[in-house]
Amino acid sequence: MSEASKDQYYVPHLAKWPIVGSIGLTVTVLGAINLLNSENPGTPWVMYLGLAIIIWMMFGWFGEVVKESEERLYNTQVDTSFRMGMIWFIFSEVMFFACFFGALFYARNFSVPWLGGEGTGLATNEVLYPGYEGVWPTNGPLDLGGQFTLIDPYHLPLVNTLLLLASSVTITIAHHALRANNRKQTVIWLIATVLLGAIFIFYQAEEYVIAYQEYNLKLSSGIYGSTFFMLTGFHGMHVTLGAIMISVITVRVWRGHFRPESHFGFEAVAWYWHFVDVVWLGLFIFVYII
Amino acid sequence: MKYLIIVILLFILFSLGSAMFYLVKGKGQSQNTVRFLTVRVALSVLLFLFIILAAYMGWIEPHQPNFLNRP
Amino acid sequence: MSHDITHDEIAHDHHDHDHKPKGFVKRWLMTTNHKDIGTLYLIFAFAMFIFGGAMAMVIRLELFQPGLQFVEPDFFNQMTTMHALIMVFGAVMPAFVGLANWMIPMMIGAPDMALPRMNNWSFWILPFAFAILSSTLFMDGGAPAGGWTMYPPLVLQGGHNVAYLVFAVHLMGISSIMGAINVIATIMNMRAPNVGYLNMPLFVWTWLITAFLLIAVMPVLAGAVTMLLTDRYFDTSFFNAAGGGDPVLFQHIFWFFGHPEVYIMILPAFGVISEIIPTFARKPLFGYVSMVYATAAIAFLSFIVWAHHMFSVGMPLGAELYFMYATMMIAVPTGVKVFNWVATMWKGSMTFETPMLFSLAFVILFTIGGFSGVMMALAPVDLQYHDTYFIVAHFHYVLVTGAVFAIIAGAYYWLPKWSGHMYNERLGKIHFWWSTISVNVLFFPQHFLGLAGMPRRIPDYSTQFAEFNMWSSIGGFAFGLAQVFFIYIVWKTVRGGEKATAEVWEGAKGLEWTVPSPAPYHTFEDFGPVDLDKMAHGKTH
Repeated sequence: MSEASKDQYYVPHLAKWPIVGSIGLTVTVLGAINLLNSENPGTPWVMYLGLAIIIWMMFGWFGEVVKESEERLYNTQVDTSFRMGMIWFIFSEVMFFACFFGALFYARNFSVPWLGGEGTGLATNEVLYPGYEGVWPTNGPLDLGGQFTLIDPYHLPLVNTLLLLASSVTITIAHHALRANNRKQTVIWLIATVLLGAIFIFYQAEEYVIAYQEYNLKLSSGIYGSTFFMLTGFHGMHVTLGAIMISVITVRVWRGHFRPESHFGFEAVAWYWHFVDVVWLGLFIFVYII
Repeated sequence: MKYLIIVILLFILFSLGSAMFYLVKGKGQSQNTVRFLTVRVALSVLLFLFIILAAYMGWIEPHQPNFLNRP
Repeated sequence: MSHDITHDEIAHDHHDHDHKPKGFVKRWLMTTNHKDIGTLYLIFAFAMFIFGGAMAMVIRLELFQPGLQFVEPDFFNQMTTMHALIMVFGAVMPAFVGLANWMIPMMIGAPDMALPRMNNWSFWILPFAFAILSSTLFMDGGAPAGGWTMYPPLVLQGGHNVAYLVFAVHLMGISSIMGAINVIATIMNMRAPNVGYLNMPLFVWTWLITAFLLIAVMPVLAGAVTMLLTDRYFDTSFFNAAGGGDPVLFQHIFWFFGHPEVYIMILPAFGVISEIIPTFARKPLFGYVSMVYATAAIAFLSFIVWAHHMFSVGMPLGAELYFMYATMMIAVPTGVKVFNWVATMWKGSMTFETPMLFSLAFVILFTIGGFSGVMMALAPVDLQYHDTYFIVAHFHYVLVTGAVFAIIAGAYYWLPKWSGHMYNERLGKIHFWWSTISVNVLFFPQHFLGLAGMPRRIPDYSTQFAEFNMWSSIGGFAFGLAQVFFIYIVWKTVRGGEKATAEVWEGAKGLEWTVPSPAPYHTFEDFGPVDLDKMAHGKTH
């Protein structure tokens, strides 16, 4: 351990991963664009290649950071920079979800009632969509996608809520265990968290299958289908990402990384998981229940 | 009832935000981050139990699609 | 290593680090140095400025006379759309990030940006993003032509280019968010130990607030364009009334991003001007703290006024009134700023070097743009101006004579620090007068065109607008040429010329003037306390 590093802000030299990341992003995006624009999309190899490059970049980049961290190259000031980076990243995620929640709010409180004749929408309703009642949930005045059945909030979604809540409890227990320097406990509770997250994702996929095959509830089922699938879909992607991050953290704890007084990587991931859970609570309440 | 649920949700958001604040402020040394996260989880469980109670008592009802009176 | 390293050893160690990486790839592609990344940003922004400017030349050429002479109407629409996207996301924003990269660490006594690797990535996403966007120009169906605001349903009729547009915007958003995170972490965490928040130069303050705005609104834009993408390719109904959505929803989301976005482009400009005017007035900035509060107030207000871009789209009356009054409130903190600049100059011993000339032009011409903004904030009369050349004149006054003039002023002000050479003052003054006269010939007549009813985004117009349009086009060509002249001045300065001193400007305050010119590859590496007397606001208030 070098004491000199304590006085110096560690500035890395020659970052090779960012340009790899840019190429990965570009290949992914071009693959996705081709996929969207082609009449008969085949297997999207270009997109997979891009995603592979991004995953390679992440392993390389984070590996470098982890190595430097375990070599004690980072002083507390560097640590604070990482913390700020993480919270403002999560804040940007909050705003991203806020955008979609905002769209849901607008549809439910403004656009659907207006189409149903409220406010200044009377003429629209009378002339264009006579008889349409702007009641949520709806697939719009032109009945896009046909009639659908709703997911019963007190079956799968309720179980899912319970699963995610339980996973928040387990990760909090793991957090306390790590502070007490009880590594075995930490690993066990982290594995429990990942498992609960995985079951959540499984049930979420199950719910989508049921919605598509039995309930005729689709992405194209008007504004209800749009908001339902986009909100839960983006949330599911974040749960997946969070579960992967927790898996990595578990391996790191297993290998003896982190110390009771310094474990920013763990805290950042734990915080991300809490954020994902709170978003789910919002979804459960505003999408499924109220 | 709906509003009560939303108020509890706001409290949860607040404790989550406080945890975030101490994530930077406490620099991992203080207990505040963990404490606020624990409060956050406890409130969430409370909210969950309350929703079940409200649904059981019929205070809230899930929305249902209305496909009648189509043009 | 033990902790009793002598100071000499550290200095020696640093000297070894001072060598710039050898080879193009290592020096530019893999750099983590804030000065190199700043240079990359500035060069990229200038290239995009010329690229977007060329499109503006096409627009002014077509509008030189009534009738369709040079380009097809659809290509004209592609030009207006791409010109705006490239100027906003490719020229103005990266230019300010470039200035931030170069100056913020030097202004607060930090060795580098807080997250240097991510800093590299923020920049290196941009060339790819704009390559993706610009590639649509060469495709069947051409580039996006629905306007930079991307309103549905029009933009969704763009065919294949919708996906290119959306993903390019996503990449730009990722870049901006990472850049903003870096700026915040740098300013909050990397100040020299004895530099408090209220010792920071105003450029640093304005950038801190701008970075918050960026993080808050770029994800919202990402969400909005994602909805466009799913509406276009996955049959969702966010912006489709038949499915219960609403095209106006897009406008609300877009302008919730878009209004803070315009302050993202002007707040750092305020910062640059607040650095330059005190130097050449040889007086401290008047009302430093009130400047900080005014900046924060403008940023806050920017979140609650977005629908003033939508007065004519149809909103409940109460909403129109609210957005009208809230918008007019922005004039108050902006007025504080303008009066503070004027008060700074009051009884100062002023000299008029090129950066100061551009700053003075900024104060006057930006205020004209601000006034036309207040005119449009009035909901009832806005119905007359909406989507006419009046709005074109308004936002070009605040963006060209505002943001771009501030960038040019900053470039002249700090170029000696970057390159180690003084620019040619005579050429600089020629550039200033040439730009300032031509830009007014270019944009001032557009006010009259708009008030007389000429709509924006059209390739042809009624003959009564002919004369003003001709004037405007002549001004446009002259202004475009002036910026090519600017390239020559910068090139000449970088290549050689009179050596600049460390202080560069007589009596200039700020830590950047305490390091040699050109600034060494690494500055403030010991990260110790700095001499507060050298800072403009180093003393407590």
